[in-house]
Amino acid sequence: MAPVAAAVPEAPPRFKLLPRLLVGAQVLYVLGVAGAGYATTALGKAVVLAATPADLTTLKTTDFVRLRYAVATVPRAQWQGPEAPHTRQSVYVLLASAGAPAAATVLGVYAAEPRAAAGQAVLRGWVTDVFPRTLGLRYGLERYYVPAASVLRKSTVARPLRVQVRIAPWGQARIVEVSE
Amino acid sequence: MSHKFLRIESPAWVAEGLITEAQRQLLLARYPPDAVPAVGLLPLLGSLLVALSALSVVAANWAALPPVARLALLLSSLVGSYAGGHYFMQRGNRTLGRGLVGLGLVLFGVSIILVSQTYQLVGYDASGLLAWVVAGVALAYAHRSRMLAALTVLIGAAVQTYCTQALGSFSYATAALLAGGLGYLWWRRPDGLLSTVLSAGLLWQAALWVGVSHAKITWFFIPAMVVYAAGDWQPDRHAGRNAQAPPLIAAYLFALGLALFGETDAYAGLLRPPVLAYLGALAAVLALSVAGKKQRGRLDTLPDWLLLLPGFYLPGGLPLAIATLVVLYAHAGSVLVRAHRAGDADQLTLGTVLFVGATMVAYFKLTWAFLDKSLFFLLGGVLLLGLSWYLRRRNARVLAAAGAPGPAAKPTE
Repeated sequence: MAPVAAAVPEAPPRFKLLPRLLVGAQVLYVLGVAGAGYATTALGKAVVLAATPADLTTLKTTDFVRLRYAVATVPRAQWQGPEAPHTRQSVYVLLASAGAPAAATVLGVYAAEPRAAAGQAVLRGWVTDVFPRTLGLRYGLERYYVPAASVLRKSTVARPLRVQVRIAPWGQARIVEVSE
Repeated sequence: MSHKFLRIESPAWVAEGLITEAQRQLLLARYPPDAVPAVGLLPLLGSLLVALSALSVVAANWAALPPVARLALLLSSLVGSYAGGHYFMQRGNRTLGRGLVGLGLVLFGVSIILVSQTYQLVGYDASGLLAWVVAGVALAYAHRSRMLAALTVLIGAAVQTYCTQALGSFSYATAALLAGGLGYLWWRRPDGLLSTVLSAGLLWQAALWVGVSHAKITWFFIPAMVVYAAGDWQPDRHAGRNAQAPPLIAAYLFALGLALFGETDAYAGLLRPPVLAYLGALAAVLALSVAGKKQRGRLDTLPDWLLLLPGFYLPGGLPLAIATLVVLYAHAGSVLVRAHRAGDADQLTLGTVLFVGATMVAYFKLTWAFLDKSLFFLLGGVLLLGLSWYLRRRNARVLAAAGAPGPAAKPTE
């Protein structure tokens, strides 16, 4: 078996370079994801969302809490789209009072991206429920991975939270800070 | 041959004069007991345990680690496992090398997910995870590895499932990368296992596409039969047949479901796409498949298409159930005929199972009110007994015929 294995020609030289390039590209990509995180903080519009933690006792076994946002339920009248909304549809939510310390409110839910005026921001999300009078929305920000030093780890009583979100010009969003 | 088998059986061979005692000793020396690989396994298991303990230490302290430390940890394990993979591959230990490269590929996806989690970034489309599929396809090419290709199929399935379920959109790029990138690799380097894995992976993509686009589920069979037709064109017959197994199983289960539940018109109504569009698309794929079969001389497998007969356009109720049963019987019969011609025992068994399956469905479905039940049971029993007698006779004849020229006759099929 050994001489047969030795007789198999080694992969041509360009294939020895290619795997290394591929590893390099992967490392750069992961660094790029982290860079997008920093860039979103540095360049994004700041929005404050009001939320309450769903259940703080889960922090004993997991390192995240589920956040219930005030903007997760909006009146059906705020829907702005050519057709009726359906579940799992991706939507654009126009928020007022971006940059202000007060919690943001919903101006409208759009099927296509709206133009944001000064003091407004567009946060992307998905429709989870369509009720006769309201729409249930999901923003992808519901799972908050709680750092070890966070106030959320101090007590198990659920109090209203201020969630600071940054929305990058290219649409990505991230939670920057959660405070009481 | 197992050493244990030799040790137990060989004294009888000596006693019966088949071999001499000296030859028995030579045979025993030729097949030593296989205790050695088990020893080689111990360091591997040991390092696995050490790796698991390191993993749990990291997982327990993950929340306390600053983001930069998490990033460094992920990147160093990523680079480390690729470097290890390349090292072992150059040393000639290709299995371990490719295993480590595969681990590196998994760690790449884990890094993307955990880094976005660390920075609480929200992904709105597949672009973040698409890089994972791209890396998988590129690695499968760079290392010419079927194992990495199969791993990429799994990654593609996971990414597409996430896209359709969490993001509500179908990632055409992922499906195209799997079909085009890995399909080309399969075309050039056919392999039995990769054929089935890739084919099943593509069917999964097709199923998710049907689910997310709210199309009638029958549309699933257009991409599924394109995969089947690709199997017809594949020059390697074995790989081609392996790629055709998943679409055929899906089509058979569908026909079986139609025979069982087709009686209610409501169910059949769920299946009826626009006639012209569906039949046109199906006919185009059929033409592609027939051309491939003709080109490669495999027209004997044409009855596979019986399962795709669009019987659901018939009015629901008894006509539909009976028509589907006739089709199932015809298909099982075609498999049996082909198996007899080729003298293939496995196909013979498959054909028998299909035949019995169709009979079972008929047995439970067609007990009409006007037919006395006992008469039906009698008919069913006689049919099964007759079938078993017929098959046993044919089997014996086929085996006798195959036994005479020896096993050399087999590969010609």
